Amino acid sequence: MSHYLGVDLGSTTAKAVVVGDDGAIVAASTRAMGAVSRAGMEEAVADALASASLTRDALAGTVSTGYGRRLVPGAQRTFTEITCHARGTVAMVPGARLVIDVGGQDSKAIRVDDDGLVEEFATNDRCASGTGRFYEVLARSLDCPLEDLPDLALRGGADLEVSSMCATFAETEIISLLAQGLPVADIASSVHRAIAARTLALVAQVGRHTPVVLTGGVALNRAAVHFLSEALGTDVLVPAHPQITGAYGAALLARDAVQRGQEVVDDVADADDLFPRIDHSSAGHSCAGCSGLLPPTSTRVDLGPIAPVGVHGQLG
Amino acid sequence: MTLTAAPTDRTNRLSTTRVGGQLVTDYWDDLFTAREQGKQIVWYNGGALNPIFQAAGLAWCHGEALSARLAAQRLEGPAQLAGAEYGYNSELCSYSRTHLGCAVLTLGGDPLHDDPGSSTGVVGLHDRENLAAKLPRPDFFVNNYAGCSTGQQWDEISFRVFDKQVPIFNVSLPFLWGNKPDAGYLVGDEWESASRYVADQLRELISWLETQTGRPFDWDLLSESMTYIKQAAELRREGLDLCKSSPAPATFWDWIASVAPINFLPGNQALVDYFQDVKDEIRGRLDAGVAAVEGEKYRLYFDGIMNWNKLGFLSRKFAEHGAAVVAGRYIQNAFWQEPQLIDPSDPLLGMAQHYLLCPTNHGAKTLDHLTLRDCEEYDVDGLVFHSTRTCRAFTGPQRLLAKSAQDKLGLPSIFFEGDVADASFYKDEILESRLVAMLESIDVKRARAS
Repeated sequence: MSHYLGVDLGSTTAKAVVVGDDGAIVAASTRAMGAVSRAGMEEAVADALASASLTRDALAGTVSTGYGRRLVPGAQRTFTEITCHARGTVAMVPGARLVIDVGGQDSKAIRVDDDGLVEEFATNDRCASGTGRFYEVLARSLDCPLEDLPDLALRGGADLEVSSMCATFAETEIISLLAQGLPVADIASSVHRAIAARTLALVAQVGRHTPVVLTGGVALNRAAVHFLSEALGTDVLVPAHPQITGAYGAALLARDAVQRGQEVVDDVADADDLFPRIDHSSAGHSCAGCSGLLPPTSTRVDLGPIAPVGVHGQLG
Repeated sequence: MTLTAAPTDRTNRLSTTRVGGQLVTDYWDDLFTAREQGKQIVWYNGGALNPIFQAAGLAWCHGEALSARLAAQRLEGPAQLAGAEYGYNSELCSYSRTHLGCAVLTLGGDPLHDDPGSSTGVVGLHDRENLAAKLPRPDFFVNNYAGCSTGQQWDEISFRVFDKQVPIFNVSLPFLWGNKPDAGYLVGDEWESASRYVADQLRELISWLETQTGRPFDWDLLSESMTYIKQAAELRREGLDLCKSSPAPATFWDWIASVAPINFLPGNQALVDYFQDVKDEIRGRLDAGVAAVEGEKYRLYFDGIMNWNKLGFLSRKFAEHGAAVVAGRYIQNAFWQEPQLIDPSDPLLGMAQHYLLCPTNHGAKTLDHLTLRDCEEYDVDGLVFHSTRTCRAFTGPQRLLAKSAQDKLGLPSIFFEGDVADASFYKDEILESRLVAMLESIDVKRARAS
């Protein structure tokens, strides 16, 4: 059996996924970093390979993505995270039409087709507005552990005005609200609501298509999912491990290329034939090596438990 | 196999544009010594009034052109710092901020206006020597700005920087909304009446200049100048049309390098010769099968004013990915782009019409028509929108245009932020990621269509 590696070296987290010939995830690993880090990426890759009992030499193909995609040694080809998130998400959630990915430092709305191919996309215009970094700033300002932030926000009721979406100025605004003696839970929920409204503006650029899937680290924040669902007026689906959709898509793109008889090459200009046509007759996402942590399809979001947040979410 | 190799320069820029560069350098050198030559100097902004100034015997300084030149030479910093010290914030149009900074420096170099108490000490004498000493004080201001509220006030502010001591004339250019039933590009009552309205003002401007200079206006020289400009504009237009071929023999970036000559150089035989040479080089490339971008694979449309301090960089960036930028609003729809409107024997109406044809002066319907027309004629695969941070007049309709291109032609778009003369707004990774993502999506479409 051949194996393929996808690496997503994002702005705050490195993700690595190994898939087999059938596209099933054999192993996956994530590593939180302070910033784009070669060491963090290498740890994530080493973890994933160890989980799959593989060495690098045994890989039939490697594709990298994310802001640090050019820093991944051994990758024969890079794709942008937009292409990879689309591919990975539709493999995990067949039928998805709109992928909203909110990563550490950027967010994007991607309209996709049945095959996981990008129809249209829009990205946040600047700064950290509405991204994972923004939630970190919020948690710090409220002196609340990041993992407790969703529960806090979901307890809030009042809709306070939070106008700034610049992470730096939002911190000032939050401190100002605290100084007014307003309930911390209301501040947390109001900021989440404001971020959701910001994301709505992003979605407006590509159109509100359903089903909607939220990916990226922020999808682990169930309050963010709740308020986004409220803003969109529709359910928002979250894969059990939304952080790895980009790396998963990258691994699938490597597999697709090899299976189509194409060498995985690093030149965009020669890449026409690398793109896949998904065989819908086969099963959707499956996971051979993650001990059931990844269900075969998506998890519908409600306010009940979702997959646990982990800064080191090795699977399998 | 490495992913981090230095980008290969796959551009093949026109060589004739270097000649244009020299013409422009000579023009500025001449302007910087205009006072010594005994000439009066007019500072102006907006549409290309230079043929009128030429016929009035004046030396002319186009504010945006000076700002663009400073930015292209990475010399904009001192002027912008001077503007900031004076009180202009960084969200103000960086063309005007740079030029107003030059005005402040020019004024500061005048002992009569030296006021040590007004300086924060940030902007030093060194800047004055490098910039202000070169740009001579104005004898007149003329504003001829269309479709931009900042532009329309720009010379009024310069007028105040100079203590309202320098005479000023404002040309009013109505926005072409294009809403009336008969309205359209170059047609309809709105177009006709606006054209006459502006032409009348040009006559008033000429009378005003005669009064200010004490000299009769040289109408023959205006006709002569406009004869040359019309010829140059026709050659430019023909050269642009040749770039519809695939692979493109020249790109948007080559035409950006030719903006200055068509925008403000004197109307004379040298100008005609220059555009004849440009067209000939393009024709020669077509005959020889020479491409402007090695291995052209994608053809893109660029909407936005040029990011002047990134001209070479952006041309290499797009070419590195096999992307030939073949057309753009700032090139196809600006700078004497409809030469058939010019009657050299009676040029004022055609001149007025070109001032109205500023690419920021159209309603969405006309812009939509022009953009989609050019996307189709140049057979582009996608659009790149330079969301020019301090030019809202240009960026305002961009989302509408992107949506229209997607809905009507199925063309994808990306946006990136930058600015005309302030490099701090540009973030390379953002453009890089979005550009590559769009090219990947184009690959997808092609793969599926094959």
